[in-house]
Amino acid sequence: MSSSDSSSSSASDDPNPKLKPQPLESQFQSSLTLEDSDGVARTDDASVAEQQQEQQDEGSGNGSVDGVVNVEDNGHRDSSDREEGIGSGEARDGDGGSGGGGGVVWRRANSEVELEVEAPASPSSSGYAGGRGSSGASSASRADDASEEDEIEVVGNDDGGAVGAPDSQAEWTPGKRHVDEDDASISWRKRKKHFFILSNSGKPIYSRYGDEHKLAGFSATLQAIISFVENGGDRVKYVKAGMHQVVFLVKGPIYLVCISCTEEPFESLVAQLELVYGQMILILTKSLNRCFEKNPKFDMTPLLGGTDVVFSALIHSFSWNPAAFLHAYACLPLPYATRQAAGAILQDVADSGVLFALLMCKHRVGTSLKVISLVGAQKASLHPDDMLLLGNFIMSSESFRQVTSESFSPICLPRYNPMAFLHAYVHYFDADTYLILLTTRSDAFYHLKDCRIRIETVLLKSNVLSEVQRSTLDGGMRVEDLSVDLQQHTGSTSRVEDKPHTETPERIRESSLVGLGGPAGLWHFLYRSVYLDQYVSSEFSSPINTHRQQKRLYRAYQKLYVSMHSKGIGPHKTQFRRDENYVLLCWVTPDFELYAAFDPLADKALAIKTCNKVCQWVKDVENEIFLLGASPFSW
Amino acid sequence: MQLCIFDLRRGQQEGQELDKILFFFPADLPFATQLSVIGLSEGLITFTRIFSPDAACEVIEAERHSHVFYEAESDIWMVMVVDKSKESKAACQVDALRKVLKEVHSLFVLFHGTMRSMLEKETSGGLIRSHLYPFITDYLSDFLTGRKLQLPSFHDCLMERGTVQMLTVGREAAIEVQSLVKVLECSAGTTSCYSLVLFQDLLVSTTLSPDDTISLFTYAVLRLTPHALSSGATSWSYLQRNNIYRSRDASLDQENNCQVKRPLHHNRWFRGNDGFLASDIWGTDNGSQTSVTPIVYLQLTEERMYLCAYQHKSLTIILLVPVSSILNGEQGLSLVKQQVLENASLKMLMVEEKLSKGWGGENAYHVSGYRYLLVDDERVSRASPPAKVMTLAKESLLALSKLREEVNLEKKRAKCSNSEVNCDKELEICVRAKNGAWVIARTSRGKELYMVLEKASETLLYAADSVEKFSNRFAFDALHILYIEAIISSPRYFVLYH
Repeated sequence: MSSSDSSSSSASDDPNPKLKPQPLESQFQSSLTLEDSDGVARTDDASVAEQQQEQQDEGSGNGSVDGVVNVEDNGHRDSSDREEGIGSGEARDGDGGSGGGGGVVWRRANSEVELEVEAPASPSSSGYAGGRGSSGASSASRADDASEEDEIEVVGNDDGGAVGAPDSQAEWTPGKRHVDEDDASISWRKRKKHFFILSNSGKPIYSRYGDEHKLAGFSATLQAIISFVENGGDRVKYVKAGMHQVVFLVKGPIYLVCISCTEEPFESLVAQLELVYGQMILILTKSLNRCFEKNPKFDMTPLLGGTDVVFSALIHSFSWNPAAFLHAYACLPLPYATRQAAGAILQDVADSGVLFALLMCKHRVGTSLKVISLVGAQKASLHPDDMLLLGNFIMSSESFRQVTSESFSPICLPRYNPMAFLHAYVHYFDADTYLILLTTRSDAFYHLKDCRIRIETVLLKSNVLSEVQRSTLDGGMRVEDLSVDLQQHTGSTSRVEDKPHTETPERIRESSLVGLGGPAGLWHFLYRSVYLDQYVSSEFSSPINTHRQQKRLYRAYQKLYVSMHSKGIGPHKTQFRRDENYVLLCWVTPDFELYAAFDPLADKALAIKTCNKVCQWVKDVENEIFLLGASPFSW
Repeated sequence: MQLCIFDLRRGQQEGQELDKILFFFPADLPFATQLSVIGLSEGLITFTRIFSPDAACEVIEAERHSHVFYEAESDIWMVMVVDKSKESKAACQVDALRKVLKEVHSLFVLFHGTMRSMLEKETSGGLIRSHLYPFITDYLSDFLTGRKLQLPSFHDCLMERGTVQMLTVGREAAIEVQSLVKVLECSAGTTSCYSLVLFQDLLVSTTLSPDDTISLFTYAVLRLTPHALSSGATSWSYLQRNNIYRSRDASLDQENNCQVKRPLHHNRWFRGNDGFLASDIWGTDNGSQTSVTPIVYLQLTEERMYLCAYQHKSLTIILLVPVSSILNGEQGLSLVKQQVLENASLKMLMVEEKLSKGWGGENAYHVSGYRYLLVDDERVSRASPPAKVMTLAKESLLALSKLREEVNLEKKRAKCSNSEVNCDKELEICVRAKNGAWVIARTSRGKELYMVLEKASETLLYAADSVEKFSNRFAFDALHILYIEAIISSPRYFVLYH
């Protein structure tokens, strides 16, 4: 791994990383960034001068040289197309004069892609692969994962990686793959799950596989199907053929299509298309509709230039992130006091004109991003889907991920207000932990920077960051613990606070290698708190330990979720389902939803009893696994 | 509702698109509309083949319509377009609708042979069009309630079209039936004839292949059984039906010359004095004034067989005699019939008496507290009496309908993923619906059980226990006897049933 890793470890090792000099590689990285941005930057706006002036003032004010300020403008958006003026966000030359670590880089998103390509071992790609559930995986096992990725047939090395990236790398990179393919390729036709975005005139905007431009004919066919049915006064929802499903979603001038043979139910696929659309809105806002009103042949691809990674990472997450179908978010397990401390400082900041403040981290086993704390100003509430999309946008974009750097980017929260841009200030404290501050003001960068410094100081003082590190290492709830100490459990997830249990993680990890599960054949569970909009998922235990098995279980849960929530007649109350893979039990109440997976030979009565125990256990430790009292919807 | 049949091999050139259409209902729709339905269907068949070359388009689901596809013969497609009314919006049973298409096709093939062979016989398409129109119109008239076509919906989720329903008989009666079947087949003086024995609307024995059994059983229940003869309309659905097509029948007859036979024409079968059923559908024999015996096509052997049906009270016996074995047409057949009467009439009386004694009436297969459907090997089914199913709440039926969709998907998946290996899906799903009813599906070794328990207690264990009781005692016993039966009476195909 490269710079980000070394700096992250130094950041975590050092109690006060802020005072530490920037590692050499990081400085190199940042100057590389500068060079890169030079290629596309312009210097023709008066605001630049202001910005630079401000920045210089600021820079001399606090003397901080702790990193590059990446202010990102995602795509070649024309400022006239925006709902809110973000002139300051327009791509600008950073006037490299400030040099080293102090420069503000106003960078364009497409340079991001180039950067990634030039640096094949980029922290983003490796970090991402590591983040998807193969902790400490060797590159061989990653290759294994990659081949599993939604494909029927392993298509050899006949296709290049992202934009001509060296193919020697076997890792899963979040960028676009198989660009050589088009609808005439057999390999393309056999991909398990396609996603397309096109305009209502049939122009391709995004395709998960293959080059959009080569797929123009195919896009036109999709458009023809949709408009043919529309001309008959109807709207096509899906088409089924064998194990294939073609799912359509029309959003004004934007058409979204998914072609899948993954056996996911229609309802799941349509929800995924909604999220893909939401991701596009997050980048561009809904005001793009106006462009189509003005010019139906409007070509949107340049606007989304370089954001392929964001979409492919989102689509990839549909196969492993329960948040995508549960419409809930997960929290990092933390001692109540620690989370309170983090919440207090975020609240403090929120009162000073920040709309939302989120402290997030990537979980060790990387099943999903986890929330440490989050706070909204006054009546503002954050939808779990928005959090998913925002988290994906930030985690998949290389430019945000430079540790100790700062980014400022316009984003839109589709569920909060699809028409308007907000501005996100993003800062990584270490490789996994980052802060997002959202504001409505485009000129708030330096204010947010101050806020971040205040937050960071408090987090360090109150040991929040080290607790976070400890928690990511320890992991969350384990089904094995349910059997071990049902009696002695005194309302704590032994992972989190207790010193006496320090050997437990090791012991458990060993035992899980041998293949214990929980009591009564319990393998895994998901618990969703309806009011909190949060869920908790147990750690994967044997025998659900390969990526393939985890994905299969995930799909089974997803199916169960749809079955329980079927439109018109749902939600059902309980469901027991036994097939050759699992016994699945689901229990939906107004307060919570429990999804549990057992050995297929599990005894019905014992399984039910175990589910009750799980619910009790979750209630006992809800102080630590959930963010209480700060629910985005409870104000 | 719209129903069309089209042949992708026809009308390939521009301007000749109309040539594709073999059938369209309603026929008075403008050609432009007909072509647009077929155009969309054809487009999606081509499109889906890009990704799924082996199984092209099965259904298009739109907000207001469902298009259900069935490739009846290679390149000959049947597409049904169903308007989603408010009620059926929640659960349109696509699989049940496809079974309707499958059924009408298999009935057509039974009497006319395959559509492809008919198209090859007469390439202009006029012949097949003139046959399809009255045939399907007659078939659809069975779905009429008032002036509306009542197609299968979630109300029918506790029944299975395209399966036979069997009578459970005791061992003694089974032996009696077996000996009757032997006598019947000997009477024809040839070894290659087949028989089908029905009591009321239930199958007692068959020596036909499973597919032919299903087609012929379906036809018998639609038009031949005492129930069908007396009601004049179908009996196998509990919905009240009136036939508004009557008024159009006259014009239909005039339009089509007398060459076109309408095997599904209502009220055209009657019981003759000799106990054999006769119909004027196929005209009368020039010489003897007796009505012509219909000929049917067997799917498995592609043999042409004379269909002779005999009825005594509730007992209906269908005897299929190879056309090739009868040299002088109706005369030869009447000899066979005489032979049957001489050899078997006593046995038939006895069998009828025995079966009547053991017959528990319409609610014979009702199990109190349970509303169920059992399907065996997708060919044999048994269900709670329709009148009892009607007592269920709409929510329960909707939930079951949805659950059946899920199970069908799992079955399909199991078939696709391991077509060679044992494709039987072991599955058990118990759902407690919002209204508190338990909706249950179990599949095991080719058997499927669907069940609604509305008055069961709250706990899953109790519900599971009830299912266990049901499948252990009732279902197993009943089906077990039914197997013995099938084995005894159809030694040739016993493997298929077992």
